[in-house]
Formats: sequence, C-alpha cells, structure tokens
Amino acid sequence: MVKAKGILEGIRVIELGPYVALPLTGRILAAMGAEVIKIETMMRPEPMNFLPPWAPGSGRAEYDASKRRITLDVANPEAQATTFKLLSKADVFATNFRRDVLKKWGMDFPDIRKVNPQIIILWQTGTGSQGPYGNYKFFGYPSQYATGVALMTGLPQDALSATSTSYSDYHCGVFNPLMIISALLKRKRTGKPSTIECSIWKSGIVTVGPALLDFQANRRLPARLGNGDPYACPHGAYPCKGTDRWCVISVFNEKEWQALCGVLGNQSLAKNPKFATLVSRMGNADELDELIGKWTVNYDATEVMDRMQQAGVPAGVVAKGQDLYESPQLKARNFYHESPYYITNPTKPGIQWEQGPRPAIAGSVPIGFSEIPCQFSENKRIGEDNEYVFKEVMGLSDVEFQNLIKSGVIR
Amino acid sequence: MTDGIGSGLLEGYRVLDLTDERGIYCTKLLADLGADVILVEQPSGHKGRHRGPYFHDEVHPEKSLYFLYFNTDKRSITLNLEHPDGRDLFKKLVNKADVVVESFQPGYLKKLGLDYKALSKINPRLIMASVTLFGQTGPYKNYKGSDLVAMAMGGYMQITGSPDDPPLRLGNEHAHYPGSQYLAVGITGALYYRDFVSGKGQHIDVSQVEATIPYHIEQHQAMMWRFMGQNPARQGLNSQVGVPLGAFPAKDGWIGVLTVAAQEWDNLAQWVFEVTGEKAILDESLKGVFGLGRRQRYEEVNGYITAFTTQVNRNDLFHDGQQKRGVPLHPVNTVEDLLNDPHLKASDFWMELDHPVVGKLKYPKRGPFDGEDVPALRKAAPLLGEHNEEIYCGELGLTKKDLALLRSAGII
Repeated sequence: MVKAKGILEGIRVIELGPYVALPLTGRILAAMGAEVIKIETMMRPEPMNFLPPWAPGSGRAEYDASKRRITLDVANPEAQATTFKLLSKADVFATNFRRDVLKKWGMDFPDIRKVNPQIIILWQTGTGSQGPYGNYKFFGYPSQYATGVALMTGLPQDALSATSTSYSDYHCGVFNPLMIISALLKRKRTGKPSTIECSIWKSGIVTVGPALLDFQANRRLPARLGNGDPYACPHGAYPCKGTDRWCVISVFNEKEWQALCGVLGNQSLAKNPKFATLVSRMGNADELDELIGKWTVNYDATEVMDRMQQAGVPAGVVAKGQDLYESPQLKARNFYHESPYYITNPTKPGIQWEQGPRPAIAGSVPIGFSEIPCQFSENKRIGEDNEYVFKEVMGLSDVEFQNLIKSGVIR
Repeated sequence: MTDGIGSGLLEGYRVLDLTDERGIYCTKLLADLGADVILVEQPSGHKGRHRGPYFHDEVHPEKSLYFLYFNTDKRSITLNLEHPDGRDLFKKLVNKADVVVESFQPGYLKKLGLDYKALSKINPRLIMASVTLFGQTGPYKNYKGSDLVAMAMGGYMQITGSPDDPPLRLGNEHAHYPGSQYLAVGITGALYYRDFVSGKGQHIDVSQVEATIPYHIEQHQAMMWRFMGQNPARQGLNSQVGVPLGAFPAKDGWIGVLTVAAQEWDNLAQWVFEVTGEKAILDESLKGVFGLGRRQRYEEVNGYITAFTTQVNRNDLFHDGQQKRGVPLHPVNTVEDLLNDPHLKASDFWMELDHPVVGKLKYPKRGPFDGEDVPALRKAAPLLGEHNEEIYCGELGLTKKDLALLRSAGII
C-alpha cells in the first residue's frame, strides 16, 4: 500500500474565481492534500494581484500556495468543451461567479451536472441567491458593517468602529472547505453529490449569534465596550514602553486578580475597597485601568506579557508584523513559509512573469494534523501547470494543446 | 430516530464535546451539519450556561442566550471527569465515539489519563481535536488566554479601531471563531482520511492565535515587516487599501462604500457628481480598478463622497446603488436590522426553535449556507443533563438506580 501524501488524497478540486474567500478555500484544501486546479486567465488577471503591500503579485502565496495553476479563458466561446472535460475529471467545482455570468459562459450548474453527475458544487455568493438581494454584490470588507459587527465594536463614545480586513471573506473561506469535505463524506455514504451555497454576508451574520438572541429576548442592542468585558475586570489594552505598543490583560477570577497585584508589586491595590471585590472593580474599572497603565508604560510589551503569564495572568502583546514574524512561538511551530512570487504584468503572458527579487512570506494553514501535516509548496506562475493539467489530467495530445493556445482558449 | 440524531451531511458521526468557549462553535457547526454531538457538561453545568446575556435578564443556567446559540442540535449529559468513576464512564463513551473535541490547557487531560495517547488505546479510530490559545507545543503553550489575548496576539487588534485610539477587540468575541472554524475543517478532513484513505484516527492541534492570523492576511503583516520594515496599523473607518473603502455617514445612518471594478468607480463618481455638482470627482486620474490612483488623494476623495452620502438616506444609497447605479454599497446594520431584513426573511434564513424554558426564538436556519442539500436546524439547545438517561441507561446499560447513585456521588 502506497503511503498517502495528504489528508484528502485523491480528491480533485476545480477552483474558478477571484478575491479572497474562494482562493482561500482552495488553499486550505490544497494544504490538506487535495489536487486543487485554479483556473485563471491572462485576459482578466486576479484584481487582488494589484493590491499592496509592496509589489503586484507578492501577496498571492497566501492564497495560491500548493495549487496547480492553469490559464483557461472560460469566457471564450470555444472553451466550453475543454472546461467540461476538465470538470468531468473533478470531484468538486468551487466558484464565486454569479449565475448569469456562468450561464453566459455555458457553465450553469445543471449543464455541469450533465457532464459530471457526481460533482460536488460549492457556489459562493454575496448574499445567497434566493431573495430580493440575490443579484446584489456583497464583499468581505464592508460585510463587517452589514453583519452588525461594526456597530458593536468601538469605544463607548464611538458610533461604530472598523477593522482593516475583509471580515466575512475569511469566515466564508473556511466555511467553504468545511462544506466541501462534509459533502464528500456524504457522497461516500449515500452516493449523492451536493450543491451548496455559502454567502459572504451570512458567513458574517452567524458570528453575532448571541446578540441576535439578546435583541429578540430583551430588545437590547449590544453596547460598545471598547476592550472591556461584562464578565472580567480588569480587561483591556494597556500602553507599554515605545510608540503604539500595548499589552492586553484579562482577569477573570480572584486568583488571577491576586496574581496581577503581585506582579504590579502593589498588594495595597488588592486591599483598596475600590478594587477589593469583582463588583467594586467593575464599578471603578476606568480608575483601575489607569493605575495598571501607569505601571505597564514603564516596560516593554513583551516583558509585561511574560511577567503576567509567569504569574498566571492571561496577557498578550498586541502583535504587529514584527512581533508575528519574530515570535518564538510561531517560529517553533514553523508557521511562516517563504515562496517565490511573480510580478504581475497584465500586458504579458503569465508564464513570462518576472520572479520577484526576494521570496514572499505566507502563513500556514493552521490545522495541526498528527498523521500528515498541512503542506506548503511554493506558489507557482500563472499557467505553469498547463501542460500537466491539459495533457496528463485531461489526456489532450500536444496538437490539441497547441490548438487551444492558438484559438485563445488557453491564455 | 433517536432524539438528537438527525439527517445531514455528517450523519452517523458521534462527537463528544468537552470544549469551553474556545471550541463550542466548532461543535455547533458539526451538530448543525448532522453529527450526533454530545456535550459533556460538568455537573454544575457548562461554563457557557453561567454567562449572559440571559433571557429576560434572568440569571439562570437554562436561560443563557450565549449557551442557547452555541449548543443547538447537541445532546447534553453531565459527567465529572475529575472523579475516577466519571473517567471510567467517559472511556466507555469514547469506545463508541468518532471524535472528541476539547479545549483544556495543554496537559490537563494527560493528568486525568484522558489524553489522545490513552484514549487512542481504547479506540484506535478516534479523532481527538484540540483548540487552545497557542497549541500543544512551543514555548508559549502554557500561556493563559481569553478572547482578548488571542485577538491581540493573533495580530487582529493591531488593525482594529482608529489610529489615534488604543487597539480594539471586535465586539463579538471574535477570537473564538477562527480556531473553532479551522478545527471543524480539520475534523471533517480527519474523518475523510480515516474512513476513505488510511483507516487511522489522529490528533488535531489548533492554536487560536495561529487561526486568527489568516483572518487578516490581506494586511500581510509579517511580510510588510520583513521587507519594508513597516507594521500595518489601524486605519479607522476609512481604509486606504482601496479608496473609497469604509463607512460613510448617510443622511439617516451609515453606509458602507467600496468600488472594485473600474466601472463601479465611474458609476459612483457620476452619482456623486449628480448629487453634489463636484466636477473634480470625474477626474481621469482618479479612475481605475481598486482605486490605485485614488490612494494618493484619499482624503480629498473621501471628502467628496462624504458630501454625497450625507445628503441621501441609507436605504436609498444601498438599494439604488445595488439595483440602479451599479455601485456595490452595503448597509451598516444593527442586529435589529438583520432580524427585520426582507432578504433574510425571504430567503428562509431564520428558523424558530422552541426551548422548554425560554420558548421560541429565531436562529440562523442553515448557518451561512443555502440550498436543499444543507440540513436545517433540528432542535434548541439541551437542558442540563437532559440526555443522561438516554445515554447512560439506553446506551451504556446503567440502571436508574445506578444513575441515582452516581448523582449522589457528584459524578453526574
């Protein structure tokens, strides 16, 4: 028996679509050993290529590591037979294109099912296709507003606050593989393939669940508590030595409170009637935060964290890029990887893209399997796997392959 | 069909749930997808029963709305794992289980003789899944955490809030979601690997901090530091990753604004011009995908847009933008807005579940998913120890007399 190389050994996924959540879906499945074939085209390069940080294409390893990358212009009217041939060899088709666009390309789901009756279809949508917003475009970043998250985040005096990340995209990007693997399990058990929609918007709504019930039961909207917590005190981010350096501390019980006072070298704090009990601490939280801040500001954030943790107080540095990159914990667990990247140039075919001057950095898919760890193989050039996929997977001859290039199907 | 064992994508798999808030969403996902999840509660009740918000603000272990949300479709038994008889019963349950999910500090279960090594001897096909702050290995593995600590150390707080204010946590205890979600993916993967690739069980180790980092990868924080010596920081309500990208004040609330395709910017610029008469917004140099040309002038551009949004009602901006203008505007919603939203109602998003103590409340029926192949919720969260008799007597063969004895000894 050949030793398996991946958790999802033998599964082939076809991924079609841009941005964050869908590429992340394929990244996770590829790390788990599925063969993920990402369909792209030079005619419409992935818009995320052009986002910062520092060079077009440098961010792609985070999304596309370990995938097979091919160029196939599904919008080309002559592409349909080739696309279907590829889909007929797959277990899963995952896309985030809208239904009208897929129909225009001759790739509506019933048509795909005719070609491959067993294929699992994961359709990522903005809002869910049924209902009055079925054709609306919803994106991950502003979903923090549309899901209620922004209005429950912020300092008490803020109307709302925001995080600089495409909030729901990351939830959706993890829900997608959950559903794909669950559907694979069901198909093995029942023989039936599933068609599943996962929407960006709803992926964020499910993360405010208790607040949804609170409003129904108590007609209450969540309060903006800054870094405060209704069940812990002290609980906040405290300034440390340096510019914009912070350490969070969260104290949930008496033992942690006593330990905190010990670290502060201030046992009189524990005896002060203003702070002696949980209820009194809650009532004087602002004053207590100020006292703690006057101590923390004398030390490096890492020192505050280490001293607190050694005493048994939950605490952590507000990590910046440097802290993440240099973290002894993340290093010990080999969290970050290096990968070449290719400078995206929309005027040139992808396989000619120039390699960036130094490797890009990408994190791990954070699932620690004891049997076969998640894999990381380098991000490839767009179209780099054309020969493998079109010839070996699909069985095309070299003449057929060259003809597809000439006709602009492969481009 | 036994109460609690429904149909679904994960039908037939049994999960023993030992988690606290760090893993409780993982097991909800598995339960809602059809797995038979047995929540193993300490006799005084799961930690989540003892925190709010509470139904009608009545502090009661069956009225925690936090608990109710995260435990749909699960069954509940009580069991004291610190008592040797409790551990013995747990091992019997492990014999019939596919998965154990836990979130204790590393080493705790080993002390009890219930770590993966010990349990896999009882059931070699067992999948044990752990989610902790930093994972099972490494110099920080024993560090103590909370939502706040995981958000901070996972790099999320650094980019949340305003540049002039302290870094912020999100108001929904966000750090408990990433670890749970990745762990659920890992568990389904491990089931696939066991049943269709290798026949082997295994241990899965997820760190909340590591799981939080990929929830903001577009900021590429480590790469920004390594190659530019920069640390991405908080940007407040208006991001400069794209311009415009953020929340803008509407006449009667707030509206989320972004443009992705070049055409969407053109459409927005035209609309701004029509309402405000500001010609500068039509400038050629401002055009293009994602606003590369607009980044240099983001304050100016955001000023034009604010002058426009403040003149129009939120819902008109949202619907006219999406339906007529080709601009993907997003509403800034409260949870009340969500509960009343016409799209969510029409698309069958909600489902009323009846709970014997708190009565009927609406929950997301199929979570974030849609489609007939996705199972709907089956039942509200269980009462404390609701399924003790069903499981201990019905499955493990204990008598009611045994149950009474175990209860008096504080074991169940």
